[in-house]
Amino acid sequence: MIEFTINNQPVTALKGETILQVARKTGFYIPTMCYIEKTKPCASCRLCVVEADSVDGLILSCQTPPTQGLAVTIDSDRLQQERTNIMRLYDVNHPLECGVCDKSGACDLQNKTLEFGISAQHFSAKDQNRKIEHWGLINYDPSLCILCEKCVHVCNEIIGDDAITLQFGGYKSAVVPKNSEKLDCTFCGECIAVCPVGALVSSQFQYSANAWELTQIPATCAHCSAGCSLTYEVKHTSNSNGAKPKIYRVTNNFEVATLCGAGRFGFDFDIQASKDNELFEKAVASFKNAKAIRFSSLITNEEAMILQRLKAKMGIKLFNEEARGYQSFMSAYSSVSGKSAFSGSLDAIAQSDGIIVLGGRVSADNPAVRYAMTTAARHNGARVVYMHPLEDALLQNVITQMVRYEAGSEEGVVAMLAQTLLKNCDISDETKGFLDSLDDGYLCAESNVGDEEFDRIAASLRRAKRKTLIIGSDVLHHKRAANIARLCGLIEKYSDYSLVIIPQNVNTVGVSLICDLDQDEKISDVVGYNAKGDFIVGSLGEYDMALPSLNQQEGTFVSLNYQLLSTNVAVAFEGYCLNDITTSLGVKAENTIDYTVQLPTEKGFKAVEFDALGNFYGPLGEDNRGYQLETMDCTIDGVLEEIEDLPEFNGTVVYYSNPVNQFNGYTARTSQLEHDTSLRGSAQFAAAARLSGGERIQIEGANTVRTFILDESLKGTIALVPTFDTSFGGLPETYRFEKIKLIKVGS
Amino acid sequence: MQHNEPLNDRNVSEQSPYFYVDIEAYPTTGWDKFKQVIKRSFKGELFVGLWVVMREMIKFDIHTVQYPKEKLPIGPRYRAVHKLLRLWESGYERCIGCGLCEKICISDCIRMDTKIDENSRKEVTEYSINLGRCIFCGYCAEVCPELAIVHGQRYENGSEQRAHFVIKDDMLTPLDWLTSGQQAEFPGFGAITPNESVTKTPLAY
Ligand code: SF4
Ligand code: SF4
Ligand code: SF4
Ligand code: SF4
Ligand code: SF4
Ligand code: FES
Repeated sequence: MIEFTINNQPVTALKGETILQVARKTGFYIPTMCYIEKTKPCASCRLCVVEADSVDGLILSCQTPPTQGLAVTIDSDRLQQERTNIMRLYDVNHPLECGVCDKSGACDLQNKTLEFGISAQHFSAKDQNRKIEHWGLINYDPSLCILCEKCVHVCNEIIGDDAITLQFGGYKSAVVPKNSEKLDCTFCGECIAVCPVGALVSSQFQYSANAWELTQIPATCAHCSAGCSLTYEVKHTSNSNGAKPKIYRVTNNFEVATLCGAGRFGFDFDIQASKDNELFEKAVASFKNAKAIRFSSLITNEEAMILQRLKAKMGIKLFNEEARGYQSFMSAYSSVSGKSAFSGSLDAIAQSDGIIVLGGRVSADNPAVRYAMTTAARHNGARVVYMHPLEDALLQNVITQMVRYEAGSEEGVVAMLAQTLLKNCDISDETKGFLDSLDDGYLCAESNVGDEEFDRIAASLRRAKRKTLIIGSDVLHHKRAANIARLCGLIEKYSDYSLVIIPQNVNTVGVSLICDLDQDEKISDVVGYNAKGDFIVGSLGEYDMALPSLNQQEGTFVSLNYQLLSTNVAVAFEGYCLNDITTSLGVKAENTIDYTVQLPTEKGFKAVEFDALGNFYGPLGEDNRGYQLETMDCTIDGVLEEIEDLPEFNGTVVYYSNPVNQFNGYTARTSQLEHDTSLRGSAQFAAAARLSGGERIQIEGANTVRTFILDESLKGTIALVPTFDTSFGGLPETYRFEKIKLIKVGS
Repeated sequence: MQHNEPLNDRNVSEQSPYFYVDIEAYPTTGWDKFKQVIKRSFKGELFVGLWVVMREMIKFDIHTVQYPKEKLPIGPRYRAVHKLLRLWESGYERCIGCGLCEKICISDCIRMDTKIDENSRKEVTEYSINLGRCIFCGYCAEVCPELAIVHGQRYENGSEQRAHFVIKDDMLTPLDWLTSGQQAEFPGFGAITPNESVTKTPLAY
């Protein structure tokens, strides 16, 4: 605690806080132009200058921590003069194009120019001919850029692409792609979000609407289990298009939260249908006759609840192998840890200084986890150990140690990891006995991870204070998933690691808590809700009856943080919804959101009405979204099983993994995201599978024809196969590595 | 267009042409009211009116405007159906698509669509005004920073439906009109008064 004064008012700062942060917290206003809460200070605008009694000059409040007893003045004539001059400089030759600029009405430069009353240009400089850049989804106009550096900071510190940089050249300075002519990045669009002026803009949105015409609808991203907060910005289209409402863009609270490209650019997945009574009767009849309902986790909690009620009433079965995999993984985990949910969260990852990631391609599976890892690496200098059979070029700036294990050997690797991490911990005799009895030699040889690599992990993380173990979705459908889960529970229980397990879909967690799932049987009379079935309802793939997409529904999800998050209707759906069907089957409710308050409290939900749920961040970044689920106590009765012989994956092996920004059938039908459906492999894979780049191939048993692309950035003998494009999308409900047979198509 | 008319003195006095009219007190009792009805009904004022019409008809000196064949001239500030003007020099559309007219419109009857064109400029692809809702207040013309949207003189907008629209193609000055000098300037708020010395788009003055 540091005590000091701002404008003679006593205030206190916590260790590490800057003068600006304290001022904001205590309600003092210091103008800023380049400050952004989630990155290190850019310190480029100098607008945040303040005076302090101990120094002669002016100090930058955004990067200076106070000292005990300091007397800070934040407004004086001298400061006002200084700030006004800065604003005058910003306005020199700034194009007078607010009339068409996308940012107008929400522009920091406009606001501050008016705030400081700059009505004329006092300085002059010869104007430059600056070229507008078109970088795919992003357009950059250097004449509007005020060189605040926010974009560069988020790209480097939060996203980790490190794709742009400032090219210094005095008055000619501009933002340029780093080490390449054209911008080559994962197109998260976060640089667009943070840009205080209209310099970086979305190319599809540019000039199509003004900020003040758009209606903002707070919602939750439907693409992955991170459940990021986003705002759909909606407006009517022109009269000749029927004046129908349309989503124009997605924005986010960039000061505290981050979005990936799928959330930001993949928003136009809504569908439309009208009320067709004949079809409706048919749907009701198929539900009535159904022996089971098969559904995907692209569903709200409320609808999952409806299905569960239907099961209770009609005695039908519920199939969802993907959520069932997660459910049994979590129950095995709970049987050792004694808790219903793991201890980690995205915030915990971002604050860690030691991270181990195992069994998932996080940059594609869950970008929010990747951003949290990048933040940890950049802000806390976190050591990051990445364990996976495949390297990930996107993480190369973040990871400090890459550990490659053989596909399929996760059980052995996790066991060895447990042995490493629990070495000096206070564990039960039974656990000690189990760990001591591991056949190190066999496990290391078969998983291809040497003893010395585990020693290096231990050494490199020894000093870390806040450590997180991240478990990817590979292991959720592993043959030995239950034992892997118990081992994870063991590590979390006895070590100082917090644990994060990455569920695959937006509401995998919610479904796993709400529904009693049955093992899928290939029976007939199955109704599919966004899944295969004899009668299919939903908004994905080829359906018999359309139900609203996830951006056309109100409801809630449970994110990987075990937080209940609400989402809202961006564009209205004219047809029927699931609740209409089930109401006529006797599971009655007026609105789907009537179920929000009824979600099972014994699973950690709270009895809160939908309309009472918040969905926003407070001015200081306080998370006011939904609520945190309660972690329940569970019986500890799990017994570790002996490690089975590790399987071998030889021959043509593929890994099911989507390209960045692609997740499921929703992202697959959006207009802005890249739809790369090719199978990618290294030169080594090509040689082994006797393929050359550009050949058309088909995986035996699947009906999708793909192009093989020889990818220089890949190594090893395993190729990547996307799944987002196969009718319902999402990752497979089976283990993600598979030995396959490739058939060449045509020639 | 200067008007130097002296102001009328509207105060009632000896000198002014204004005077109080002698109005008979209104009847209050039922009987008085009855008498008034009888008097008015049988006084024959009806025939006075008919006679006037008859007299004027025979004179063949009729002042009636033969609408729709003939139309009265309209004041330059009359606010009728809108027009979209072009730049005099280049013939480009003046409208930059800023959306201010759409925003200010108090009847919410302007709709426009814009997009980025191949030269990275904002292009207005559609512009419509629902005349069924427009109250011809003139705000749109007043707010327009480019003097692009103005009120024209066309006041006939009968329609079979309540909602009916003028679209961009109807409002925009055709190019041949522009070259033949038929595009008139709007002499409204904020604009200069057009005369012979104005040879460029008034924005430049
Ligand atoms: S960046 Fe801001 S100040 Fe510059 S033209 Fe756009 S709205 Fe106006
Ligand atoms: S879109 Fe994302 S990754 Fe690409 S330059 Fe911007 S911030 Fe960096
Ligand atoms: S592009 Fe925008 S965010 Fe980046 S330096 Fe320029 S003004 Fe700042
Ligand atoms: S005249 Fe008034 S009501 Fe009519 S379009 Fe213009 S602003 Fe709207
Ligand atoms: S105010 Fe004028 S320039 Fe702006 S959109 Fe309307 S007509 Fe066009
Ligand atoms: S906010 Fe401190 S320098 Fe910009």
